[in-house]
Amino acid sequence: MKRQSWIVTLALVLGVPLAAQGKPVTVTGIRGVTFGAVLPGVPRVVLRTDPANSGQFDIKAPKGNVLLAFLLPLTMTGPAGALMPLTFGASDAGYSQTQSIGSQVGFDPKQPFTAVLPNNGRASVFVGGTANPATNQRAGAYTATIILNVTVLP
Amino acid sequence: MRSITKLSLVVAALVLTGTTIQAQSNNASVTATASVQTPINVLGAQQLSFGNVFPGVNKTVNATDLTNGGRFDVSGQASTPVTLSFTLPATLSSGGNTMPIVSYTGVHALLATQVGGVAFSPAAGATSTLSGTGAMFVWVGAQVQPATNQVAGVYTGSIVMTVVY
Repeated sequence: MKRQSWIVTLALVLGVPLAAQGKPVTVTGIRGVTFGAVLPGVPRVVLRTDPANSGQFDIKAPKGNVLLAFLLPLTMTGPAGALMPLTFGASDAGYSQTQSIGSQVGFDPKQPFTAVLPNNGRASVFVGGTANPATNQRAGAYTATIILNVTVLP
Repeated sequence: MRSITKLSLVVAALVLTGTTIQAQSNNASVTATASVQTPINVLGAQQLSFGNVFPGVNKTVNATDLTNGGRFDVSGQASTPVTLSFTLPATLSSGGNTMPIVSYTGVHALLATQVGGVAFSPAAGATSTLSGTGAMFVWVGAQVQPATNQVAGVYTGSIVMTVVY
């Protein structure tokens, strides 16, 4: 009985880590969305295919289906709490099985998207968007956070 | 032996449970950044002034007239292109009386002295680039055409200039 308890305890301790080692999901924010210099009253668009300014996430998970879901900001925050609207179009996100920005399948970042990971379990997600400064937008630096959640589907 | 079998089941169950409990989900974030430049500011700095006008005698104020021409002062992001457009009245008014105003002329320059200025037609608008300090000056002239029986009085009208990046 004493021996059994030890084994059970050992399984409890090892069980979760072993499982985690088997099928972890890793999401890494590689590059932010850079709108650069924005003029008041002039919308600034960053395409998901823009190699320098689009946002990029890298995914590593077991091959198979994964669900991609963005948490998107409505505004960017600037000096003294000034806000600037940020919008995302129906094709402002892209999924690449090859992790190449030139080979993407576009999708709506506002909707969950089911993607298939290749055999190597690696893929990338790219995202663009539009900053919409008002004509009297306060000058200064603005930022916002874009979150990508990845879930392995059974 | 029997207890070992039971134990194996328990261990297997725990490992399976462990797999199920382990969240197969993860997330990461990136930052969106933008640098908003200086907004455009337009100031009506000087009125377009025709002074005394006599019935039946047209009077012109040229855009190059630094004293009587209308002047707008523009400020914004340095060295940035802008587009100028105008809303121009066809008449000046004094109570219920009107007087035609026609033949608008314009000059835009980077200096308030009008040195290096460029002539343009306000009716058509213009494009230019703000100076290295983000400044621009715009003058407007026109001609009024009082009728021979023009009723005496002070006639006014509004000229609106819109500047966008």
